[in-house]
Amino acid sequence: MLRFALTRIVMAIPTLLIVAVSVFVLIRLIPGDPASLMLGDLATPASIADLRARLGLDQSLFTQFGIWFSHLLKGDLGVSINSQEPILPLILSRFWVSAQIVLVAVFFASLVAVPAGVIAAWQQDSTLDLGLVGAATLLLSIPTFWLGLLLLLFFGLKLEWLPVVGYVSIGDDPWRGIIYLIMPILTLFLHEIGVILRMARASTLEVLRLDYITHARAKGLSEGAVLWRHAFKNAFGPTWTLIGLVLGNLLGGIAVVETVFTIPGLGRLLVDSIFARDYPVIQGCMLFVAFCYVLVNLVIDLCYPIFDPRVTAQ
Amino acid sequence: MDWKATAALALLLGTASATAQQPITVALNADIRSTNPGVNRDDNTDAIVLHMVEGLVGYRENGAVAPLLAEAVEVSPDGKTYSFRLRKGVKFHNGAEMTSADVMWSWNRYMDPKTDWRCRSEFDGRTGMKVVEVAAPDAATFVMTLDKPSALFLDTMARTDCAMVAILHKDSVKADGSWDKPIGTGPFMLGEWKRGESVSLKRFDGYVSPRGDGRDGYVGRKRALVPEVRVLAIADGATVKAGLMSGAIDVADVPDSDVAEMRKSAAVQVLTAPSATKPAILFQTRDPLLGNVKLRQAIAAALDLDELVAQASNELGKTNNSAIYVTSPYYDEAQSKRYQADPAKVKRLLAEAGYKGQPIKIIANKRATVPSFPVAVVTQAMLQAAGIKAEIEVLEWATQLDRYSKGNYQMMSFSYSARIDPAQSYNQFSGPKDQFPSKAWDNRRADELIEQATLISDSARRQELFDELHELMLADAPLIFLYNQVDTAVVSKRLRGFAPWVASKPRLWEVSVAP
Repeated sequence: MLRFALTRIVMAIPTLLIVAVSVFVLIRLIPGDPASLMLGDLATPASIADLRARLGLDQSLFTQFGIWFSHLLKGDLGVSINSQEPILPLILSRFWVSAQIVLVAVFFASLVAVPAGVIAAWQQDSTLDLGLVGAATLLLSIPTFWLGLLLLLFFGLKLEWLPVVGYVSIGDDPWRGIIYLIMPILTLFLHEIGVILRMARASTLEVLRLDYITHARAKGLSEGAVLWRHAFKNAFGPTWTLIGLVLGNLLGGIAVVETVFTIPGLGRLLVDSIFARDYPVIQGCMLFVAFCYVLVNLVIDLCYPIFDPRVTAQ
Repeated sequence: MDWKATAALALLLGTASATAQQPITVALNADIRSTNPGVNRDDNTDAIVLHMVEGLVGYRENGAVAPLLAEAVEVSPDGKTYSFRLRKGVKFHNGAEMTSADVMWSWNRYMDPKTDWRCRSEFDGRTGMKVVEVAAPDAATFVMTLDKPSALFLDTMARTDCAMVAILHKDSVKADGSWDKPIGTGPFMLGEWKRGESVSLKRFDGYVSPRGDGRDGYVGRKRALVPEVRVLAIADGATVKAGLMSGAIDVADVPDSDVAEMRKSAAVQVLTAPSATKPAILFQTRDPLLGNVKLRQAIAAALDLDELVAQASNELGKTNNSAIYVTSPYYDEAQSKRYQADPAKVKRLLAEAGYKGQPIKIIANKRATVPSFPVAVVTQAMLQAAGIKAEIEVLEWATQLDRYSKGNYQMMSFSYSARIDPAQSYNQFSGPKDQFPSKAWDNRRADELIEQATLISDSARRQELFDELHELMLADAPLIFLYNQVDTAVVSKRLRGFAPWVASKPRLWEVSVAP
């Protein structure tokens, strides 16, 4: 197990290297200049050149990359062009905010969607199945920003149960912190239910058609035992992989939800940095997101043997 | 008085006292960049920081410059020496009294290249004006000497992007000289800044307000009437609207397109004031096609400007082709001269220009805070109707700004930020293109007139110069100013005393919560 994990971590290094180089180059290919943006419409070529020199942007791409990469190897992601803040603590603090929302939303979505998907497959073509698949498709089709705004208007404006704007850290005030996180979590929860339910249903349907399920039923096992012991355990693999992909995806990209609910998370930091052409923050964020993706998928792979003994971590 | 009346009075007083203690919540579309005045800044940063710090002079409501931390400003007969007599008893947030030593320390810090002050080049001779000597002859006097007279000196000192050359206490920086936090003389002091999230400003109880009957721009009476102002960074317009409707937000700017909807709400009031921000259509006069002045004039004559402005501003703005904003003391009858739609003239000018249907590209962006895109859409429609083939290219703001800086466009729908003094306003878009590719207007005579307007302080003579500049600009048509963007603040009905103004920045002093 340990060897497998170490091998996977070593294998992730080239991936992260490719991400580092491509993000560094691609962001600089986009037109727009951080110095121009900072100076605005009164900037002169001299003042732009001055600021570019101070930011180190006047040096060649190779030199810039060399400096950034040598610092990266020491665990230093640099400082933000805009706020002059050190990037790693900035990313970690923003990531923690996003992670709370994503982990809780995906956990509860899985808890609801996986059994619902199995039941829908078990009751294929019944009214229940049609209802669940219809609801999942609907939830999947609604864009998260729209869903978020609907929740905001209903729970915030109409019922006045939940705060419309603002954010309080759970560390500062746990109860108020939770109150502020309910709507963003609910938005993601509803959206992800659709994704996971459809996968759980599809993979269970596939397994239910296999011979050993017929054999189990022929043995006289109860439907519950057939579903839990034989169908679910074998069908869960693809859903588990999907949950990993969803997690990896969301951990780096819930900018829309964060924008609607004014949550200072990693997604918003990344989007704001792109608009401001804050190169070091964009690079740091992208590298961190890629690292999360690799890490989450590694954890998912390491968990496979727990659900499916046929898989070994070797 | 019976017990019921006493109880009612006590309840009323209690309620009034409770509302007076309530904080005000303001929404901005983005977080501030720093708390370091005039260094790492943008418009939002200036707006918030200028609640905590003040300069020797500041803008009045109409854009004129008046003393703020100074009691009076005396100018020597040769126009080169400015003596600022400081107000007595002004306290910093740490309780220390402000003296000329603090002004000297602040000035030296700003002029130190290590500080990175945005406006250092405005005072060190690189852009014309040079402060050659500063002195503090006594604790209440600060003297600045220029190498030559300048009509723009006080205006530049008052500029918000220069942070009004804010006077800071030396404890604002750490022992190593790096920035710590603003210890200024403003009516509010820094509470807590949660980056990317919110800023809290606390009332400064030791604040000594300038004299005045009421609020007057950045000068006049400036009492903090609420204990705290919370500023939230909210990027999404729909969330801002929901916050205003629910009462979670007390003050926010909204796009013009939302004004009609917000006016119907019982929870808020919509306040408007013309600002000095200038939406404009720029022409690249070095473009092979648009280099022809006849074609530019044809385009100007093809636009029904009143209709265009009504559409772009949701009927809030009024056409103004001048570089001077409508409430400026320099906005006279000559400045109100404008382009008129004239189909026959368009036909004639197009024929004279030899226009043969070549396509013209209009660059625009879709930021909600400026009318760039609607201006481009209406302009395109009007040009097509006049037989001029126009296409729109929508760019993200950073990309458009890059193209603007390099002069890489044919036509561009752009907004110039607020500049209060007319000479500063002309300086934004006029100058030699070889040196400054972003400049829209390259005309030697215009540059001479602007240069004179920066040197001469006499208002009447300056007015003549600006009037001549306006005539020249209309004839040359290097760009078409459309109107002064309207600053639209949506304000909770519980607030008293809030008013938008020409500088397009919220002011939270002299604002209270209704009992």
